[in-house]
Amino acid sequence: MYLLWLRVAAILYAAGCVAVFPAVLYNSVPWRKSCVHLAGLAFFFHFVSVVEMLVLAHRWMPVGVREIESLLGFTVAGLFFLVWWLYEAISLGIFALPATFFLVFAPALGENAHRFPSQRTWMSWLVAHIIALLLAYAALCFSLLASMLYLLQERRIKAKVKPGKSGWSPADWLPPLDTLERIALATLEFGFPCMTVGLLIGFVLVQQTSLGASYFLDPNILASFAMWIVYVTLLLLRRGVGLRGRRAAYVSGAALVVMMAVWAVNFFSQVRRFGP
Amino acid sequence: MMFTLIGVNHKTAPIALREKIAIGRDELAETTRALSATPGVTECMIVSTCNRVELLTVVEGAETRVTDFLSKQFGIDPELLRPHLYEYRDKEAVSHLFRMAASLDSMVVGEPQILGQVKEAFAVARAAGTVSGQLEYLLQSAFAAAKKARSETGIGSNSVSIASVAVDLARKIFGSLQGRTVFLVGAGKMSELAARHLVQQGAGAILVSNRTAERARRMAEEISGTVVPEVIDFAQLYEAASRADIVISSTGAPHPIFRPEHGHAFLHKRRNRPMFFIDIAVPRDVDPEMNKLDGIFVYDIDDLQQVAVAHMEERSRQAIDAEALIAAEVERFHRRQRTVNVAPAIVALQKKAEEIRVAEIQRIHSRLGTLTAEQLAAVEALTRGLVNKFLHPPMQALKQAAREGDVAKLDALCEEWAVSPAGPIGTESEDAVPKPTEGAGKDLGNVNADAKANEGRVEARQ
Repeated sequence: MYLLWLRVAAILYAAGCVAVFPAVLYNSVPWRKSCVHLAGLAFFFHFVSVVEMLVLAHRWMPVGVREIESLLGFTVAGLFFLVWWLYEAISLGIFALPATFFLVFAPALGENAHRFPSQRTWMSWLVAHIIALLLAYAALCFSLLASMLYLLQERRIKAKVKPGKSGWSPADWLPPLDTLERIALATLEFGFPCMTVGLLIGFVLVQQTSLGASYFLDPNILASFAMWIVYVTLLLLRRGVGLRGRRAAYVSGAALVVMMAVWAVNFFSQVRRFGP
Repeated sequence: MMFTLIGVNHKTAPIALREKIAIGRDELAETTRALSATPGVTECMIVSTCNRVELLTVVEGAETRVTDFLSKQFGIDPELLRPHLYEYRDKEAVSHLFRMAASLDSMVVGEPQILGQVKEAFAVARAAGTVSGQLEYLLQSAFAAAKKARSETGIGSNSVSIASVAVDLARKIFGSLQGRTVFLVGAGKMSELAARHLVQQGAGAILVSNRTAERARRMAEEISGTVVPEVIDFAQLYEAASRADIVISSTGAPHPIFRPEHGHAFLHKRRNRPMFFIDIAVPRDVDPEMNKLDGIFVYDIDDLQQVAVAHMEERSRQAIDAEALIAAEVERFHRRQRTVNVAPAIVALQKKAEEIRVAEIQRIHSRLGTLTAEQLAAVEALTRGLVNKFLHPPMQALKQAAREGDVAKLDALCEEWAVSPAGPIGTESEDAVPKPTEGAGKDLGNVNADAKANEGRVEARQ
């Protein structure tokens, strides 16, 4: 029965994840209420599931990866609610709730629930996983490019660059600052769900492999999670904190450097990979 | 028939004189009709703007004078007016008109209004019935040339006024100006002009503030149009400024009223949304250090002036290309006119040849005996072919002489072939003027088509 409560909790955490982003990034009160209510319900069912699981096992000590994952998720969610209770802040939820969901998702699948009906279905999901992640990376690159162009255009306007002798300036084609800012944010907002969906599909797919949860030790996968955190940070800074202009472009530049470094490390390092 | 153009403009006459002879929109049609009543004037139109008053006429001969029209019409002493008047005839008149329409003769080279003003004057003259073939063709050619100059050179591409430079810069920052808030601090003429430009571009709200509330209210009333300005108490200056995307400041304050600490506060309140400060006050109202803040852009009067001057220099460079283009268009217009003018002589030549051919056929008709219809048609085709082949060299020679404007050679050729340069008797003089729709923008150098059409007309008459 504990598995059922855990699955209910996982679904509610997922819904809470969906609600937390508009609640934090757009400061929306209805989404904020929905987020707290959904996450609260999830936390309650999670609690029931954990207690039932441990009672059934006749011990108070978690044993095995899945039990530890579930309990860790419960602790993260608990901390989120503690912060909310003390400071009425849900901003941390954009990290805490997705993290909790990821931690709960694998145990909620149960022991035998991760088998795909056929190899073809598995392949289709694999293709979707790759496309989603590639779209996310492409969007991030585009957002970072727009930020770089923003810096260039901003410098031109601040420096009061006049047309050259030929009447033509090499940066005349640059779009207005506001347009560049919008492009940077819109591509980020497009890429984020792609990245999340890509990671979720990957999470499900990995259950089919013999490696299971240990697959997440692969540097590639870790890099993807790191990039997801970069995405969330960028979104939080831009939408939540209201970071714009030059500083936002610098942060984006730093993110680009991180992304390139992660890719380079993955590409050239001799660290053993678990992937097929 | 010849074109004449007389007038005064900002280069030749002071405003005190120009305003005396300026013709209002309501009086333009009547004045144009009065001009057309001048003896010897067959067609006319008047262009009257704040910078010029010009009379463009088609006159019967060189002796027709329209220079006294302005002094008579406006009761100004001719001696007072004469030193400021310029008069162009034929090629010079055409060249001046083309340059004027292309905005090469304007105070601000490349400004777009003049073409519209010439078009409007032309429409008024057409409605008044003072324009027909010659001027119609000339004006359509001038419009086409002006359009070409604007599209093929960059004479109109960059802003050259302070207000429009400010609008361009605002667009570089905000993209569209739709819905942006403009704050006018201080009630200056230039800031009013800039605000009007911004409203034209879609600015959504205007706030006005001045140390003297009454002046702020007056200015708000003056610029009130599609957007109703909101008057802000000067004590609320900084609160209101944080609402504005664009601040145009022109107060007489001895020290900057917007300093970096204010900039930080604005950005904090606006969640870092950018602000553009246009400082047209001397001494400056905005501390230049504000420009170093992320999200705040400051341009003072010198910065704007420098951009405007750079654009003006660029226009001057482009104007050289535009002048060359207009000169080529003027030359093309004259070439077309000359080629068109030779058409009556060609028609006369063809008519004469056709008469000889028909006469010869009739002369030998009895000797040919009874011919079938096919045989008759063959004879017709044979003789017609021969005549055309014989006519080809003289026709080419006529066209060549016309293209080169060699009147002596043209007369000699007409004499040699015993034809009148004015065409065969009965040919309408309008034949020499192409219809405006055909003429505008097309090279009429190939007269073969005209000649063939005329040939058809000759045949029809027979």
